[in-house]
Amino acid sequence: MAVQPLLRRVLVANRGEIAVRVIRGLRELGIESIAVHSDADARCAHVLAADRAVSLGGNTAAESYLDIGKVLAAAKESGAEAIHPGYGFLSENSAFARAVKAAGLVFVGPNAAAMDRLGGKKAAREEAIAAGVPVIPGTEQDLGDDELIKVAKEIGLPVMVKASAGGGGRGMRRVEREQDLADAIAAGRREAKESFGDDRMIVERAVFPARHIEIQFVADQHGHAVSLHERECSVQRRHQKVLEEAPSAVVGEDLRKAMGEAAIALAKRVGYDNAGTCEFLVDDAGDFYFLEVNTRLQVEHPVTEFVTGVDLVHLQLHVAAGGKLEDALAGKDLTPRGHSIEARICAESPEQGYIPAAGLLELVHEPTGPGIRVDSGVYSGWEVPPFYDSMLAKLVVWGPDRATACDRLSEALKNTAYLGIPTNVDFLRRVVDDEAFRTAAIHTDMLSRRPELAEGPQESPDDHALAAAVLCQALQRSPAAGSSSSSASAAGVESTQVWSDLGGFRLFEVTP
Amino acid sequence: MKLSREFVRDGDAVAVQVERLEGDRFRVRVGDKVYEYDACALPDGGVRLQRIGDDGRGGVAHGAGSQQSYMVRVDGRTHALEAPQRRGGAGSAGGDGTVRAPMTGTVLEVACKPGDEVDAEQTLVVVSAMKMEHKLSAGVAGVVQSVSAEAGATVDQGDALIVVEVAAD
Repeated sequence: MAVQPLLRRVLVANRGEIAVRVIRGLRELGIESIAVHSDADARCAHVLAADRAVSLGGNTAAESYLDIGKVLAAAKESGAEAIHPGYGFLSENSAFARAVKAAGLVFVGPNAAAMDRLGGKKAAREEAIAAGVPVIPGTEQDLGDDELIKVAKEIGLPVMVKASAGGGGRGMRRVEREQDLADAIAAGRREAKESFGDDRMIVERAVFPARHIEIQFVADQHGHAVSLHERECSVQRRHQKVLEEAPSAVVGEDLRKAMGEAAIALAKRVGYDNAGTCEFLVDDAGDFYFLEVNTRLQVEHPVTEFVTGVDLVHLQLHVAAGGKLEDALAGKDLTPRGHSIEARICAESPEQGYIPAAGLLELVHEPTGPGIRVDSGVYSGWEVPPFYDSMLAKLVVWGPDRATACDRLSEALKNTAYLGIPTNVDFLRRVVDDEAFRTAAIHTDMLSRRPELAEGPQESPDDHALAAAVLCQALQRSPAAGSSSSSASAAGVESTQVWSDLGGFRLFEVTP
Repeated sequence: MKLSREFVRDGDAVAVQVERLEGDRFRVRVGDKVYEYDACALPDGGVRLQRIGDDGRGGVAHGAGSQQSYMVRVDGRTHALEAPQRRGGAGSAGGDGTVRAPMTGTVLEVACKPGDEVDAEQTLVVVSAMKMEHKLSAGVAGVVQSVSAEAGATVDQGDALIVVEVAAD
């Protein structure tokens, strides 16, 4: 990809795996990389990966990565010309984008005005309607019972009857038959009055069961925009994506084209530049409805990179520096090729209600092999701080078809170890190996309908597992030297170094 | 040379003993069963192991932890193994009256002071990590001897927060 080489030094205003991934992209382009970090992150993987690191101080996100003044001061001090925000933190903060520009720096993301127009849910919905993008049909203003019933019939059943002050499913009902509408509205009003002190109701088409399918698009500053097609992220828990893939098993040529054109129309309408994602709900009839636009690089961007061959970080830098899309993508066939799936590896325990965990990662073993990419922000001996997101790494695979990609992901997860704190690795493998996922019969409610996937099989360890545990203690070379061996020898029975004839060979040692 | 450990399985303590026969050959006793393994360390921190015999179960295992609590990943499954404990459990002391931080986090509240008489289940200190609150108790009744936790302070996993002198039974 021919990339506009205008930037020489870029500050990455993020941490962990996404900062590492952006820094990798910068290095490939010969651009100097500046990391920033909190006190807790002084030895985080992204700090070790960068050319230079600037301390922001503090521990919590508010004291460090979210502090616009500190981030800008770090950019000034290090002489960075641009700031890449990654995802989360300040990435969708238009005040930050404005402050970066006001400081004479390049923001590697959309212009602040476009961010504002897509920021609020209501504003974004209005922009989508104006751009001709389908939204979930429904009422928005306060209507009486008879009018609500009339609108419901116009929309077509089934419909959702919802409290307009709603949230958490209260005052919400799915209605399939016309004769049930009046009762559902009355019951909804009572519940809404009790829960929210507001009995106004709205009616909208029931997009359920639904799949979450989103379009990756990139726009330049010269009025051009391109769709890099869809990703499907239907496997979610409490609105957090768990597995993401490209392409979607249910999106054919026509739907892909229609969704891509809708996203581009919206991007052009608001004068968007840089990378963005337009999220949709898709029902089983293949109709799609606008949800929102994420005005940043997404966590799940690698699956798009795998199937299109486009490096999204390179492309973001190219358009941020004023480059044209046509220069970067000239002669490229962007048709999705093969199939890619991403699994988000998190320090949490799905078996116990997804409780997040912090603490020492004593041993990290990440899989390798053809078609396997690990975007990781951790290493053996890294202490996961309790202050930030629980995601440790992303395991992304590519295969010539979906079945091969599933097999590859399952096997790669089998060969993955993040030990010392609980992780969701076993859970991810249960989901990948589940019949519903293998047959792509996935909807956004899959994990809430199937709690046994999170709970796991409740099997006690067999003799082989117990034997393996003690053989590991006897033989294993600990990359996270110190902690485990000291606690073992302190206990006095026999130290883990019993097989002294194996020697103390270590590939590397982590100095705190 | 032998290495012996005990783990809890289905509520019972199971003794596991590894004994090197020669070279990479090991005898492993699990409870009253005896197995032979071929095993060697890998440079990435894992252990390649192969059970000798009919089923020949083999693969790479990774393990980490302490004698009290050990995590092993084998055949694509993670097992969190615990050594038998006299009293107490996660989020409390091991029965010796020392309340330790179960994970790295921030002390939200200290709910006792030296000299206090406390129950086994009484919350003595609250630690927050990743926005989850953990209420910690001593697991034994007694008198608070010392309090080293301070509200707002960051603590590491395993740090002693409060020491309770165990009341005589």
